[in-house]
Amino acid sequence: MVDWASLLQSLANGILIAGLYAAVTLGLTLVLGVMGIVNFAHGELIMLGAYSSFWLFTLLGIDPLLSLALSGVLLFFIGTGIYRFTIWPIMKDPPLNQLLLTLGLSIFFQNLAMILWKTDSRTIITSYSGMSLDLGIIHFGLTRMITFLISVVLTVLLVVFLSKTKPGRAMQAVSENNTASWLIGINVEKTYLLAFGVAAALAGAAGALVSTVMYTFPMVGFKLSLKAFCILVIGGLGNIPGTLFGSLILGITESFVGTYIPEGSGWAEGISFVLLIVILIIKPTGLAGTRRE
Amino acid sequence: MLELKWIDVYYGNIQALWDVSLSVKEGEVIVIVGSNGAGKSTILRTISGMNKIKKGSIEFGGQRIDLLRADEIVRLGVSMVPEGRELFPRLSVRENLELGAAYIDRAYSRRTETLQWIYSLFPILHERGSQLAGTLSGGEQQMVAIGRALMSRPRLLMFDEPSLGLAPLMVDEVFKTVTKVSQEGVTILLVEQNVRQSLKMAHRAYVLENGRMVTKQSIDVDPEKCILCGECVEICPVSAIDMTVNGQPENPGRDLGRRVSRKSQ
Ligand SMILES: Nc1ncnc2c1ncn2[C@@H]1O[C@H](COP(=O)(O)OP(=O)(O)OP(=O)(O)O)[C@@H](O)[C@H]1O
Ligand SMILES: [Mg+2]
Repeated sequence: MVDWASLLQSLANGILIAGLYAAVTLGLTLVLGVMGIVNFAHGELIMLGAYSSFWLFTLLGIDPLLSLALSGVLLFFIGTGIYRFTIWPIMKDPPLNQLLLTLGLSIFFQNLAMILWKTDSRTIITSYSGMSLDLGIIHFGLTRMITFLISVVLTVLLVVFLSKTKPGRAMQAVSENNTASWLIGINVEKTYLLAFGVAAALAGAAGALVSTVMYTFPMVGFKLSLKAFCILVIGGLGNIPGTLFGSLILGITESFVGTYIPEGSGWAEGISFVLLIVILIIKPTGLAGTRRE
Repeated sequence: MLELKWIDVYYGNIQALWDVSLSVKEGEVIVIVGSNGAGKSTILRTISGMNKIKKGSIEFGGQRIDLLRADEIVRLGVSMVPEGRELFPRLSVRENLELGAAYIDRAYSRRTETLQWIYSLFPILHERGSQLAGTLSGGEQQMVAIGRALMSRPRLLMFDEPSLGLAPLMVDEVFKTVTKVSQEGVTILLVEQNVRQSLKMAHRAYVLENGRMVTKQSIDVDPEKCILCGECVEICPVSAIDMTVNGQPENPGRDLGRRVSRKSQ
């Protein structure tokens, strides 16, 4: 006999967490799509966003859902700085160099965070942390619901930015063909800078969301990076619909594993590796469609 | 209008151009011919700012442009139809064309009018407006590439082997378009291996070999006499091309002819 209530509840939990995963992955997708770089330090930008939200809350009492915008702005500037001083000088070098550079940045920021803030796991307890929303047979934590909604808003904002604004359309053009983009009068280097900044801002905002529903600690970005890579691989590299699809698959799979497999909550954390490996073996172009050339 | 003086260009440590000079006057159609790997594309890419010079200077409209970025050079009115078309394959024909004007203010304000002109040059692009550029035939893609460059309202338009890979009828079509564009007052700099046809419409030509200009000045092309087709030169005892340098007949003899012919097959 199927327990419909628990199935629905599990599905709903999966969808909610998928929203957060999408917010976590979008910046990675943007940088990969526009610049062709797999940014291994993306998770660390999220970690910085989470810490900035944590400290703004702890020291100044600013609610993380408000400080989200501040984290976004802060990370935008950190992101453009990182681009300008580390990535820009080697943009013309072989892709492997850029990959190794971002890996180095990732390790640097992890260690910096350990030195500055120790390895303690920090949590934010807001006035509404324990509240939940009951919808008949299923119910949600209020915080999770809000992080989901904000993730949806961030996604919509990004899509509108990319399709309706001039710099956003320039990013799309560059992702399609950067030689052609130069030739039609787009400053491709400035577009890279902006794309990296926007991706970092998204990471900052996602980090603030993360700080409300997970522990904040120096390795949180690393943990989320692995999930994000899994999502990229599921969705096909570097496109937004694929990222949303991949987030849903991962979120729901984790949730089902947590519900239906004995001792599942431990397994759920590792399921992203299993998905990653299985998909790379059976369908390396991604479940959702084609890989970016 | 365009003046290259003694430029050297490198790819990393490898030199691709040596002391290349050329000049293009307003309203002219100038052709650069040369074999594979001679450095023709390198010249055009350098003018458009995609490659940088190590030595020499490039002036356009009396202004040094060799230190500008590619996007700034396009804005000054120098556009290129690049080798291999370089379209946005997953965007529609119409979006490709519109992007040609989107980032250049003076072209953007006239985009509707320019688009009409391009549709009159290439009616097929109007029909295929919503088709993805990547799914067009080679000839159609070339038209989109030309149309996109025209959308930027260039004063100087450079073509990099527009006839490459096209069937003879399509080649005629492309060259006719080049002539039409020239008649609209756009100055043309054309790179071609299709020597015979391109020289027919050229005012002057340059011959490039191994990264160097074969003659210091351009050669004047007499369209009636030019039969530099690469077939007859080997057996022709005199130079098959009627050319003068600075009004003085030069005597490159069959040497130049052979050099060109060898590469133009
Ligand atoms: N990106 C690059 N890196 C290194 N060398 C290059 C690069 N691009 C071109 N070259 C070299 O520069 C020289 C000139 O190349 P270029 O593309 O300008 O020739 P081309 O005359 O346009 O030839 P084709 O008719 O085949 O298009 C060649 O020897 C080529 O190998
Ligand atoms: Mg070439």
